[in-house]
Amino acid sequence: MRLGPDNARLTVRTGKGGAAAKAGHNLVLEVTRWSATLGGDAAELTADARSLRVRSGSGGLSPLGDEEKAGIAQTIDEEVLKGTAIAFRSTSVSRAGDTVEVSGELELAGRRRPLAFTLHDRDGVPEGSARIKQTDWGMKPYSALFGTLKVADEVEVAIEPRSDTHG
Amino acid sequence: MVELDHAFRTGKPADYNLEAVTDLERVIPCVEGGSVLERTGDDEAKAEIKVRMGAMSMTFRGTVTVVEKDTDRALLRVKSRDTGGSGYANADVTFTLEDGGGNVHTAAQISGKAASMGEGVVQSVLDALIKDFTTKLASI
Repeated sequence: MRLGPDNARLTVRTGKGGAAAKAGHNLVLEVTRWSATLGGDAAELTADARSLRVRSGSGGLSPLGDEEKAGIAQTIDEEVLKGTAIAFRSTSVSRAGDTVEVSGELELAGRRRPLAFTLHDRDGVPEGSARIKQTDWGMKPYSALFGTLKVADEVEVAIEPRSDTHG
Repeated sequence: MVELDHAFRTGKPADYNLEAVTDLERVIPCVEGGSVLERTGDDEAKAEIKVRMGAMSMTFRGTVTVVEKDTDRALLRVKSRDTGGSGYANADVTFTLEDGGGNVHTAAQISGKAASMGEGVVQSVLDALIKDFTTKLASI
């Protein structure tokens, strides 16, 4: 099965921490350029690190406007992912009913690390999420306000059928 | 009111330190995001500080005045308003100076959006900002 922005939605959810966490937003970012295949015994995904867009932000001192959303995308490009390759390749895929257990390696920020997650079949399109700890891939979580406002180390990457969303 | 104390080292004589911290064109840029907009007198300047919070930022604009300047002590008074709201940020910054460095005592009053984070948060952010300031004073 081929997957991409046409039939599924790939999102990244970030949290916040630090003494000034109240000043920051919890973000939902959508990866707008990516492709994946999910077969009987293999799964692969590649994503364009420069294609993350802010879909929503909750919390913070004031709502995020279009200018701030564009600024966050620019910060991700210039200071966080820096356009590096994002690629996942499975080493094992096992199915039991509509549940698919996937293990493999994720290349992120120039480093390869093992990653495992569970997907559920939703009318032919998989749904599920994986938790990624940025420091495991050698990334320094973004911080501002002299380090008092930080993006949480662990982010959630989720895939879901496009028909279930408004996006 | 938030009150904070920080030490700083310059490795320079006390009289040099006094001249440095009361020279507004030199000391204001030592605050991250701080800049002099206009010199309005020997001891007064219009200035602003842009505080970046990731993609969001707040800009405070107002005056910085050298209120006291003695041999081992200087007091700078900051009065500023949030350009994007109704809040303000005022502070009395007292430098106690000696050979090699000195101490900064900051007494700040902040209102509006920034203060809505709570006094503990404001104290943490101010503490981090002033620590960064004292690091930059080392090479003033």
